[in-house]
Formats: sequence, structure tokens, C-alpha cells
Amino acid sequence: MRAILGMPMVFTTLLAAAAAAPAATLVAKVIGKDGKAIQNAVVVVVPDAGIPHRAGPPAIELVDQVDKEFTPYVKPIRVGSLVAFPNKDNVQHHVYSFSPAKSFELPLYKGTPAQPLRFDKPGVVRLGCNIHDWMIGYIYVSETPWFGKTDKAGRAQIDKLPVGRNHVRVWHPWMIGPEEATVRIVDLAEAQPVSLQWQIELKPELGSRRAPMPGDAGYR
Amino acid sequence: MRPDAVIGPLSTSTLFVRIASIVVLGSLLLWRSVATCADWGLDATTGLTWNDNLTNAFEAGDRKPDTAVTASVAAGIHQQLSTSTGLGLSLVVDGTRYFRYEGLDNLGVGARAQLRTKFGLGPEAPWAAFAARALHRDYHDDLRDGWDYNASISVGKQLSDRWSVRGSLGYDAYVADRVSPGGVPGLSTAAYDIDGWTLGAQAAFRMTEADLLSGTLSWRDGSVTAVTHPDLEVLEYSDAAVIDGTFSDSIRTIAYRVAAATRTASLTWSHALGRSTSVNLNYTYRSSRTDQGSGTYVSNIVSVILGYSY
Repeated sequence: MRAILGMPMVFTTLLAAAAAAPAATLVAKVIGKDGKAIQNAVVVVVPDAGIPHRAGPPAIELVDQVDKEFTPYVKPIRVGSLVAFPNKDNVQHHVYSFSPAKSFELPLYKGTPAQPLRFDKPGVVRLGCNIHDWMIGYIYVSETPWFGKTDKAGRAQIDKLPVGRNHVRVWHPWMIGPEEATVRIVDLAEAQPVSLQWQIELKPELGSRRAPMPGDAGYR
Repeated sequence: MRPDAVIGPLSTSTLFVRIASIVVLGSLLLWRSVATCADWGLDATTGLTWNDNLTNAFEAGDRKPDTAVTASVAAGIHQQLSTSTGLGLSLVVDGTRYFRYEGLDNLGVGARAQLRTKFGLGPEAPWAAFAARALHRDYHDDLRDGWDYNASISVGKQLSDRWSVRGSLGYDAYVADRVSPGGVPGLSTAAYDIDGWTLGAQAAFRMTEADLLSGTLSWRDGSVTAVTHPDLEVLEYSDAAVIDGTFSDSIRTIAYRVAAATRTASLTWSHALGRSTSVNLNYTYRSSRTDQGSGTYVSNIVSVILGYSY
């Protein structure tokens, strides 16, 4: 990956090739051990042909805080993207992350912080709010521009994929086991959408509970 | 100044709590004017509580069980004073209505304040809190009317995603509005005026996303009020006694105050019904042993409480 990032000329060539190349579609479905659909799973496609260099300035992605929750709960972005954290509540939040992929702190604020943050390392960034301990969110920083997030039906469709051999993997914040264990190799062809299904095992996310407990005058 | 007011060990600490309560109420009024960016919130509960020994009696014939409907509402503000410290101020109303002993029915109105600070970032950062509460309780049995004070300091820490612990030291005092005249010469009639210090420890275990199990142990050193049939023996180890009509259908009973060490163990299962609602089942075992060894008052209390937070 680092070797590839160090070769911008190659990326430019790849980008040009990708723009002209035929595009494929992948339809992913993620279910649990019980067969039920799993929402908020991130599906990442890594083509063997290489990853193009980002063209133009990065987009600014948003992770809102609404009703004292992070929205969306899981936000996949491409590496190098900027993320703003607008606070749409009428109370202050204090957003932070300890994750190696992006360690940061946005001390008490209302509204939108002036500067969005750049996420320049692939990986998982777990978000928290130091005022409202139950607030948890995730940013998945993908090394490729080809990713999707499953909906309530556990389904994610990723279009405009490069034709050819691709490595596809799945990640979910509650997943047991590493995402590398989910890698599938698939050959994609134009006009022939490929459907793949993953069955993953989840563990519940515990930590601080938002619902009240009588006698506990803690803030919520 | 009420008649026959008790002057003694109770007075200093009670005065302290009264002053603290006035400060809290004053702060609440002041804060109202500057709390434009504070977080407004509401906590409410309702439920049923059964107590098998409301009288705090140690003789079987004196033990009076009853069930009560309880409700409480606390509405107030929370303001972060800094990245680590927050202040909560609430107005509190709570009420209890018994199925049988209506003399115990009461309505409490007052205020609560809590200052809480975290030592670091994240849910697993240790925290400390100071809380104070003052409520005026209006009982159906007017002799019991009075001020209910409570102040405590707590420390806690979430140890993992499942376990959390906390410890607390608290002071509570109840000061009745009026004291019956007369009684036994040399013996106060302020039997409802009690106070004590409580040391507590709690461990909570997160069983599932929705379910929380917590156990609490506490030890309280202070005075308690008990009710019994007329018995001259209680005058030997009590420093206050008064005729009490709350529990007697035909004969008069007496309420008396006695110093005791109270041990409490409770277990609570809390099930979240959503982000803001929970149903809570609690069992509490309480045992008060009098300092003079005159007896042990044991209570078993079971409650089912629906909690709501906005």
C-alpha cells in the first residue's frame, strides 16, 4: 500500500485507465450467525490492478451529533478525507478518539468546529463524547474509494468498480475476529453484477448505558 | 424556633446541611438567569414499593407491612463548567401513597445539586461527585412533616465494558417541623428527628446491552425512628419518644428515636426499554442494630420502578 502511494505517476496512469475502463457492480449482503441482516457493516473492495490517486481536493464528510448520538453511527470514508463534526444539539459535546488511525480531541463546543479534521491513515476510528459517555460512533477510513455500508436489509451495492480481480472484505464495529478473515477474492466483469454474502459473528457493544437507573443521579 | 427543639449533637451537622441547602436553592435561582446554554433535562420515576417492616420494629406484633405507590420528578439543568466538570441543578418533587397506612403518605418538594468531575477522557476515566438534596416532606400525619436533607460525595470508575464500581460517603438528616409538647420529663419528643452517616459501595455488571445488575452494600451510623406499642422499656435506650397514631387502629403506639448501626444490602436488576426508559426491580435487606443492644430491626423491601429520563 505504502509502495503504491509513493508512485503518483503510476496512479495517474491508473486513474486515466480506470476512467476509461468498463465498470462492474458488486452487491454484498451481510448476515449474522442467526441469519438476520446486519446493518452498518462496511464492505471494502481492493482491486488487484491498484488504487488510483485521489483527483482534486478531498470532500468534506460529516459526522453529526443529534439527540446526543453520533449520526451516522458508522461512517466509511476514503483515506485523506476531511471530516467535520457539526453539533446539532443545543448542548455542548466533547468529541474525542484514542484510535491509532486518528487520535484527536475537540473540546467542549456547540455548532460546527471551524476546521474539519483530516483522516490520513487507513483504519478504524472509534469516536466518543466525554460529556455523554454512551455516545459512540465509528469512522472507517478505507484505503480505496470503493466501499459501501450495509442498510437495514444487510445489503450494500458498490458500483463503478474496476473490472478484474478484486479483494473484498467486511468490517463491523461489533464483529468478532479481524476483518482480514473475511477477505474474498472475486473476478468482476462489466454488466454482470456479482452478489456475495458474508456471515459474521457479533458481540454486543456494552460500556455506558444511556437508559436511566433510579437513584443514579448521573447525567444523561 | 419550634418548641422543644432538640439541641445536641444533631444540631451542628443539621445546621450545616441547612446552610448548604440554602446555597443550593440560591444557586438554582441564580443559575436560571445564565443557563441559556445549559442542557435541560427531566428524570421521572413511578412504581410500587413493598416494605415488610415500616415501623422498624423488632417484635413481630409491632411489624407493619404495606405497599406504596411512589412517583418522583426531577427537572433541571446540566451545565459543563469545564471539559471535565459539570454541574446539575434540579427541582425535585416526589410522592408516596400507601395502600393502608395513609398517615405515611407524603409529598416532598425541594432541590438537588450535583457537581461531577472526571479525571481524564473516556468512559473509563475515574470520576468524583458531590451531591446535595433538600426536600420538605408534607405527611398526611402532620407530626411527621419536616425537612429531608442529604449530602454525599461519591467516587467511581468503569473498570471494563461490563464492570463499574463506586463508593460513597453520605450524611442525611431529617428535621421535623414541629415537636409535640409534653411527654416524659427529660425526654425529647423529637422522635422523627434523625441523622446519620452512610458509607456505601456498589458494583454494577452489564449483562447485556439492555440489562444491568448492581449490588450495593452500605453501613450507616446514626439515629433511626421506630414505632412500637406503649412500652416503658424503650425509654431506657431512647432519647426521644412521642405518641404516634400512624399505625394504630385502636390503641396508641409510640414512635421513638434510637442510635443504631444500619447495614443495608440491595440488588437491582435494571432493564432498558429504550434510550430513555428502564424498568427496575430491587430487593433491599436492611438491618438496624441499636447501640444499646436492645434489638435489631430488620426490613425487607421490594420495589418495581419505571424510570424515564429526557
